[in-house]
Amino acid sequence: MQLKNNYINLSKVTAIAIIASNALYAENYVAVEYLQYDENDDRVSVSAPTLSASYDIGTDYTIKGDFVFDAVTGATPSWQPDSASGASTRDNSGDYAYKNQEFDEGRTAGSLMLTTRFDNRDELYTGIDISRESDFYANTVSAEYMHYTDASHNQSINVGASYSFNEILSYDYDTSSGASSKETSSSINVQGGLTQVLSGSSSMKAEAFVIADDGYLTNPHATIVRDYNTANQKLLTENRPDRRLAYGVNLKYITLLNDDISYKANYRFYTDDWEINSHTIDNDIYYAMNKRFTFGLGLRYYTQTEADFYNGAKDFFTNQEFASSDERLSDFDAFTYKASVDFKQNDNISYNLGAQFYSQSTGLDATMLTTGLKYKF
Amino acid sequence: MQITTIALVAFLLMGCSMIEEVKPWEKENLAKPIMQFEGLHPEVTKFESHVYFSKEASRGGSGVAGGGCGCN
Repeated sequence: MQLKNNYINLSKVTAIAIIASNALYAENYVAVEYLQYDENDDRVSVSAPTLSASYDIGTDYTIKGDFVFDAVTGATPSWQPDSASGASTRDNSGDYAYKNQEFDEGRTAGSLMLTTRFDNRDELYTGIDISRESDFYANTVSAEYMHYTDASHNQSINVGASYSFNEILSYDYDTSSGASSKETSSSINVQGGLTQVLSGSSSMKAEAFVIADDGYLTNPHATIVRDYNTANQKLLTENRPDRRLAYGVNLKYITLLNDDISYKANYRFYTDDWEINSHTIDNDIYYAMNKRFTFGLGLRYYTQTEADFYNGAKDFFTNQEFASSDERLSDFDAFTYKASVDFKQNDNISYNLGAQFYSQSTGLDATMLTTGLKYKF
Repeated sequence: MQITTIALVAFLLMGCSMIEEVKPWEKENLAKPIMQFEGLHPEVTKFESHVYFSKEASRGGSGVAGGGCGCN
């Protein structure tokens, strides 16, 4: 009897260990997601079908990829000639209004990541990301190494870096030329962190990051007004510094409140030499009601200070070298309210549906809807 | 900021050294899908990150890969 009990206990322990061990590895899957993003006031609308897949090659390699096509339409606010005041062209003879500027474009993006596991089960992630828009090309290579510091795999440290090279088609908003030119920028992102299992039902992750941007960092679609109400008043493309150094920390904590409910908290602090500081607090609760349904609720809060060269007024800028009226560089805060439901049809097929409402103090409101199907094999 | 970061990392490392070891067979709960840092659907998380990247002035801390303009 005792032997039988020991055998059962041993089997149970082995099974749980296998479950826990397997969870460290990705399952093979193919997933399709349809993502819809819509802003208020007839502004930006994005439809983004996404295809992603992950495949294990033995126990030492996993290859993962995704492909997305964003159809972006609508309008984005910027300073433009105010047709109501008689200036219907860019002749700088009339008044200006901060209003929606229509556009229509697409973005095609894909990424590929290879995970390599070594004999000690340390992992190396290498990846490439490519993104194509009509006026913006981005190419990124990245690598990250994760090392377990103990035999029980309760603690790991990771360090990674990425390099992005971008090509941007910029527009000279000056009336006389209106010409476009090709600009470039690059970005180096270095990140290091620590992941720690705190108990059988909670763990945390802390990461620090440094991002160095260099080159043409101006938004080619954003405009400013210089020397307003003078004989020299002009509507021009904004001008941002060609360097930006940012760093911050990101702290994550996840715990099981009971057998079926988990709580995840995330705090990020960010600061850069454009004088932008931001704080992000993200909370999510998941409830696995039964083997088929899982519900999620979340609340995200974000706040940032404005860039030192930002001003939203049309009569502010004169001869300042750096100037922007892009409200994304302004002082604002934002809330995101999240809800989701997952339905598992069987061990292979599951569906997901999600809705989010995003609200900025700038007046921007947006909804994000996601729906998808995942097939595991 | 650098001193704060170093102090935070030191604090975390000191704190972690006092945590009781969790054995592999005690990690069943940690393996549940609802206990993953990246959420239930990494593809959706990636889309959300791109939205925030496009509409806010800060980024970072969610992996080293990425790309795109998000100018509009």
